[in-house]
Amino acid sequence: MIDGYTIPAGSWDELLRADGSAQPHVATLIEALQRLGPGALLEAGQRRDAIFMQQGITFEVAGTDGERRDRPFPLDLVPRVLTAQEWTVIKRGLAQRIRALNAFVDDVYHAREIVRAGIVPWSLIVSRPSFQRPVHGIRAPGGVYTHVAGCDLVRAGDGSWRVLEDNVRTPSGISYVLENRLAMTRLVPELFAGHRVRPVNHYPSLLLGALRAVAPAANETPTVVVWTPGPLNSAYFEHAFLAREMGVELVEASDLVVREAVCYMRTTAGLQRVHTIYRRLDDDFIDPLEFRSDSVLGVPGLVRAYRAGTVAIANAIGTGVADDKAVYHYVPEMIRFYLNEEPILENVPTYLLSDEKVLAHVLERLPELVVKPTSESGGKGVFIGPHASKQELEAEALLIRSQPERFIAQELVHLSTVPTETGDGRLAPRHVDLRPFAVFGEEIRIVPGGLTRVALKEGSMIVNSSQGGGSKDTWVLDDGEFLEASQAEVEMRQPPRLPDVRYGGWQGQAQQQQQQTPGR
Amino acid sequence: MLARIAQELFWLGRDLTRAEHTARMLDGAFHADVAGGPGGRGIAISWRGVLAVIGAKPLVPGQGKPGDEAGASVPSLLTLSRREIAPMLTLDTENPAAVVSCIYRARERASTLRDVISTEMWEALNGFYLSLGRYDLEAALATGPYSVYQEVKERCALFWGVLEKTMLRDEARSFLEAGGRIEEADMVLRMLRIAVPAASLPDNTLDGSTTHEAEAMALLQAVGGFQAFRRSVHQVPTLASVGSFLLYESIYPGSVVAALAQLQDSLETADQAPRSSPPVLRLGRLIADLELQQRTQQPTASLIELLADVQDELGLIDHDIDERYFTIAGIPPVHI
Repeated sequence: MIDGYTIPAGSWDELLRADGSAQPHVATLIEALQRLGPGALLEAGQRRDAIFMQQGITFEVAGTDGERRDRPFPLDLVPRVLTAQEWTVIKRGLAQRIRALNAFVDDVYHAREIVRAGIVPWSLIVSRPSFQRPVHGIRAPGGVYTHVAGCDLVRAGDGSWRVLEDNVRTPSGISYVLENRLAMTRLVPELFAGHRVRPVNHYPSLLLGALRAVAPAANETPTVVVWTPGPLNSAYFEHAFLAREMGVELVEASDLVVREAVCYMRTTAGLQRVHTIYRRLDDDFIDPLEFRSDSVLGVPGLVRAYRAGTVAIANAIGTGVADDKAVYHYVPEMIRFYLNEEPILENVPTYLLSDEKVLAHVLERLPELVVKPTSESGGKGVFIGPHASKQELEAEALLIRSQPERFIAQELVHLSTVPTETGDGRLAPRHVDLRPFAVFGEEIRIVPGGLTRVALKEGSMIVNSSQGGGSKDTWVLDDGEFLEASQAEVEMRQPPRLPDVRYGGWQGQAQQQQQQTPGR
Repeated sequence: MLARIAQELFWLGRDLTRAEHTARMLDGAFHADVAGGPGGRGIAISWRGVLAVIGAKPLVPGQGKPGDEAGASVPSLLTLSRREIAPMLTLDTENPAAVVSCIYRARERASTLRDVISTEMWEALNGFYLSLGRYDLEAALATGPYSVYQEVKERCALFWGVLEKTMLRDEARSFLEAGGRIEEADMVLRMLRIAVPAASLPDNTLDGSTTHEAEAMALLQAVGGFQAFRRSVHQVPTLASVGSFLLYESIYPGSVVAALAQLQDSLETADQAPRSSPPVLRLGRLIADLELQQRTQQPTASLIELLADVQDELGLIDHDIDERYFTIAGIPPVHI
């Protein structure tokens, strides 16, 4: 099954070593995979597609004839496995980073200390499209702005983890983390044997708890809603999933109304106060009075209510300034400045192109670097030097020269690989990244693992699902000294003795009577 | 109607509902087992618990007869794990508690009741029976039991759905539904008694509401009703809140009180003189008791004792039903 498995030069493989043997923490998993064999893996894949189609866990792709059709979400059945030790480092590093990003958002809209200290130039901040002047001076309830964060991590060739991108607006993908785990336990339960995998299904509770924790003071239990732009949004499945799992209303703009700086939803019993809105649409659209006046998705007056402190919005308005690709460069400095700590997780070396000298240097090294537009997301416009033809290189150089401040350049990270089923039941290395999800209410909680995205094309390093990427279940093992479970939980309970179940019916009676008769 | 027919209808309902709940329970136990990993952390629905739900009756082949289960065979049952228990309670036709045994019995009863139930109901059930024989259940169970249990749930739902559309609201239907509802109440009570720990619950729920969250979710998964719970109770699931929900929530059709209320309806329809009928009267008192319990619920009240009391009372109602409708002319009820 893994014969001829060759790890691409410069990459780290998460499950196998160069000689084809298993990494020690996944020895039993690799054995279980071998026992399963290509046939059973393919067969499980067919069942997966059938189940996903039935459950509607799909995404749209354009076929060769240009028609858009639903495809089952591509979940690869070989999991990605992290040890408890690795996870502890990632978890601490992320919590640290998110605390700093949150402090940065607060600072940008208030005292601007980091600007006065000369660390981040003010001109850079105000020129970010995601900088929102209308929320200047508004302090979010509880001082939390980045309630839900998903940072993209990659693992370099030496096995070290690095942050590739921050996402503190509306990171999506958590529904796939939960659905993937459920599907894995149903499709390939034998792979779990011998491993203790930390559960992920408490995410909705964590999120609901955080959203309630940041709600403005209320006499009753705060009302939380999930706000979706509508069923046509590509992440609508996730919006509905989260609303369903949390047991809260999934609202659209027309359901919300602001009266006297208080936000309500329209219900059959009249207007009902809303305390926290988990919004899954961009700042620009949420309030036509303050932002884009042509937005039909927005709720007029919402920012007024937000400013009055009667409603919490998660994530807060204006957080996008912290995950801008040009601001990313400064995050390690932010950690030192706000927290007085050394960053646990490092950035990928990044160059801002507004500096003439840096620009010249980058243009010279363009064939080795990755160039990204600062204002795009979803892998759009990403230029990978080593994969580009001569013509493409020239075109990109021209583009960069015309507007250097619109781009950043990064060193190419050889993403780590994980064995992935390639369509014939055999495994081959495919590049992956990792997006863990953090929830910030009273404290920062991070669900073990996260979404592992995998580039299904051989050699490709673009993992976005819009560009042919798939995903994997991500396991964080409970192993050794890093066991987090308390001993009390492990203790087995003696089930009480219950009465036997009854069996009955006329036949039984008649037979019994017959059987008893001779003896009487 | 004939006592024989009434009793067969009643047990047809019971067998089908038992098959469905056993399937749900096994699916929940299986999921909790796989997702929780070895060691059983945070699992309310352990394999031991699953055996206890059906009263430790089924035995490993060749390890004693049902009569002596109290002594010798109990320790050997405790060492069993999913590899043995899942097939034993799903496929083993020798074992009366297995899902397939319940379905076979139900189908046999239905075949003698073809003049009473609608043709569509018979076909739904017979199709179910035939589909079980059609594919390799053992292999399906080995690779992923989810599809097996899903099939059971869907086929049972089909039967009850066709009943709803095609059967007269008469005495026959009442006995069939009464069987389904009493079995549902009984199974849910059993699951609750296994999952809710004897130690006082409210303390746990106050200081660490997430302590039992995984267990509470496993319980909801094993009984069904996860989404209903989320929409009805806007709280993190704890064993206490899930326990109350499954016991008291009258607007959730799978709860104990909802099942009892429908059982009452059915018996009142079936009985010639419901006002003087012992099972109906006893049931009315139990429902009123539960309502009182719910309203006066003390935070420290022990749910586990209440559950035991309710189940005992349900056993007496079951006995009364036997006495009043089926044990005509002196044939004693059978408890095998």
